[in-house]
Amino acid sequence: MKKLLKYISPFAPDNSGAAAVLYELGGIVVICDAGGCAGNVCGFDEPRWFEKRSALFSAGLRDMDAILGRDDRLAEKLAKAAGQIGAPFTAIIGTPVPAVIATDYRALKRLSERKTGLPALAVDTTGTSYYDKGEEKAYMELFKTFSTGGTPKKGKVGVIGATPLDLSMTTPDALISALKKLGCDEPVCFGMNSGLEEIKDAGSCEKLIAISPGAVKAAEYLSEKFHIPYETGCPDLLDIASKLSHKAEGKRILIVHQQFAANSLRSEILSRISCDITCASWFMTDKRYMEQQDLHIPDEETFAEKVQSGGYDIVIADISLKRAVKDFKGEWIDYPHFAVSGRLAGKAFG
Amino acid sequence: MNKAFYITAAELAERGSSNIPEELLSAKHLIYSSPATLAFNSPGAKGFGVKRAGLAIPGSVMLLVSPACCGRNTALLNELGYNERFFYLLLDDTDIVTGRHLTKIPEAAREICEELDYTPSAIMICITCVDALLGTDMERVCRRCGEYTGVPAVPCYMYALTREKKLPPMAAVRKSVYSLLKPQKRAADECAVMGYFSPLDDGCEIYRLLRSAGIKKIHELARCKTFEEYSQISVANFSLVLNPEARYAAQEIERSLGMPSIELLRMYQPDKIHNQYRLLGQAIGAELDDSEYYREATKAAEDFREKYGSLSFAVGECLNADSFELSLALIRFGFKVAEIYGTVGERNFVFVKKIASLSPKTRIFSNLSPTMLYYNGGEDIDAVIGSDALYYHAGKAGIEFSEEEQPFGYCGVIRLFERLDKALTDFKEGTNR
Repeated sequence: MKKLLKYISPFAPDNSGAAAVLYELGGIVVICDAGGCAGNVCGFDEPRWFEKRSALFSAGLRDMDAILGRDDRLAEKLAKAAGQIGAPFTAIIGTPVPAVIATDYRALKRLSERKTGLPALAVDTTGTSYYDKGEEKAYMELFKTFSTGGTPKKGKVGVIGATPLDLSMTTPDALISALKKLGCDEPVCFGMNSGLEEIKDAGSCEKLIAISPGAVKAAEYLSEKFHIPYETGCPDLLDIASKLSHKAEGKRILIVHQQFAANSLRSEILSRISCDITCASWFMTDKRYMEQQDLHIPDEETFAEKVQSGGYDIVIADISLKRAVKDFKGEWIDYPHFAVSGRLAGKAFG
Repeated sequence: MNKAFYITAAELAERGSSNIPEELLSAKHLIYSSPATLAFNSPGAKGFGVKRAGLAIPGSVMLLVSPACCGRNTALLNELGYNERFFYLLLDDTDIVTGRHLTKIPEAAREICEELDYTPSAIMICITCVDALLGTDMERVCRRCGEYTGVPAVPCYMYALTREKKLPPMAAVRKSVYSLLKPQKRAADECAVMGYFSPLDDGCEIYRLLRSAGIKKIHELARCKTFEEYSQISVANFSLVLNPEARYAAQEIERSLGMPSIELLRMYQPDKIHNQYRLLGQAIGAELDDSEYYREATKAAEDFREKYGSLSFAVGECLNADSFELSLALIRFGFKVAEIYGTVGERNFVFVKKIASLSPKTRIFSNLSPTMLYYNGGEDIDAVIGSDALYYHAGKAGIEFSEEEQPFGYCGVIRLFERLDKALTDFKEGTNR
């Protein structure tokens, strides 16, 4: 049955993606839920929760708040928190509860701005989509609200899409080093080890890099607004390519990750050996960056079928996915993806 | 403000239970789900939340019917060996508005049964806030699932929206896990212990006291290895409810099986424990001699105080105790309690008043207040109790005291001081090294 998961746990949802984008920017971020969604973000999808403090809260909705649509109460709570915590903006992230009651986010945003006197972002996530959709929405809200310009700075490269959910790391250090090696003088990862000032100043970048499909829309927006060129791609931070020896020469390989990470890894492998590589992703798949054999995976059943019938000798994917393809007899190379397994790179699975 | 809000016990007692400051009332502010309190705000992250608790029936499996976000942290339970027992039916945007997913549940249940190489004892159908708002009649859906698969299906309501209602999720799930018990001939010398999803500490005197009163068999859900053992719980003549969250389940059992219940509270004040056992004895028509256990518990406290002096504690709420009752017990044992991180309500305000009279300067914080972002640790604290308190005071000696094996009665008091003694000794050795 489609949408039935028998072997795999659910992946990071859109509200987690939105929270990941906003986490380090110093705002008051409210997950519009009863408590469980915020708990899922803080206790699972946000590994920085245990390293860096952030004013990320739950709205603590109760049934009558939802039934009666008491948005004013949420705005009052937000205003109270804003009075206690110095913050440059507030943000509200949607969950299934406001989705069911069809919350008017634009009205909620205006109400919050009036009550707090601070700029407000409203990200209309529903908890039913994947994290990359939430990242896309949050980036768009952020750049549209705050990016006003900036004096062009030579060598400055703005990186969009860097979150622990994709990098499987809590800092962007490895990504920055990799980009520097690739010739970027001054990479800035928006929302990771950089604050709101960098978002405001996004127009000062000489170039943008969208490291995941969820970042493309924001890259296109900034590109159009400030006439900055953008590229796509995500360096092989875990050095997976080097784990493939020459015995992989001529083999059929399946890489499963977010599309740009998979594509970049394919290029890296093909620069070393000759083989037949298919890239697949459960997440956003942009046709412009697909090769003919590439796949989008809609559900667990299709994933198992494609892996088992694809004649692959090697699968490069998060090891947690292996449970869904018990009959696969080839080699499985672990490529951790936090949004899939909730596992940081270098951490054992299970 | 830029500092964590607190109020002293004396100030709070003076205001009274009807005038608790808004900062201590979670419904009045945004909720800070700090690393200290994750287990409170999202029990799925640690300990027993609805999902894990719902699998207390031996041999059962769970189908979580929800948007992906509700099941995300369930992967944490995989480490505890639950991954073979969880299945997910993911809802999309149309489902959560139209409720069309309800028609797919029986088919999903059938597919799960076909996938397994055994027949599960039950399929627990766990639903979330979405279905709470849609007003889903899950009893009806479960009946349909049962007809479709031949396996009983039981609803589990993970309705975080109703957390502060009469029947919060953790009370509702207790009703669910006892709902498959069937009426049968009861035995006068058997009883059931209700309240927790993990067993009581083996050393708990309640087992010996009940045996001394002629009880030959004590049923406990968490100790049932098979569905047959689970089914035998309804043989019990009465149940002992050790956690108020099991009260509703006990009432339902009384209604459906005719099994009465007696409620006891987990406390750490020996005289109060003694009083409870005296009343229990009266209720079951036996005299329970707890004098030896009483002596052991008070001796454990006295020995500890003699060894370490009048230590000053910080007491959290992520632990196997009511923060305020435990704090009161510590104060009455002759210790100081400098800070308490807890949730004050009508239920435990009586302890606040007593703390105020004995230790008026004790500072009371709410873990959930956004101002706890700025909490910066009291300096007048020697040791801490609770996983939240340990988080706030990472450099201090302390114990989580939130193990799965449940402390109760005098045994709980003894375990508390045993663990504190070990933690303080280890801490001292660590600091001297």
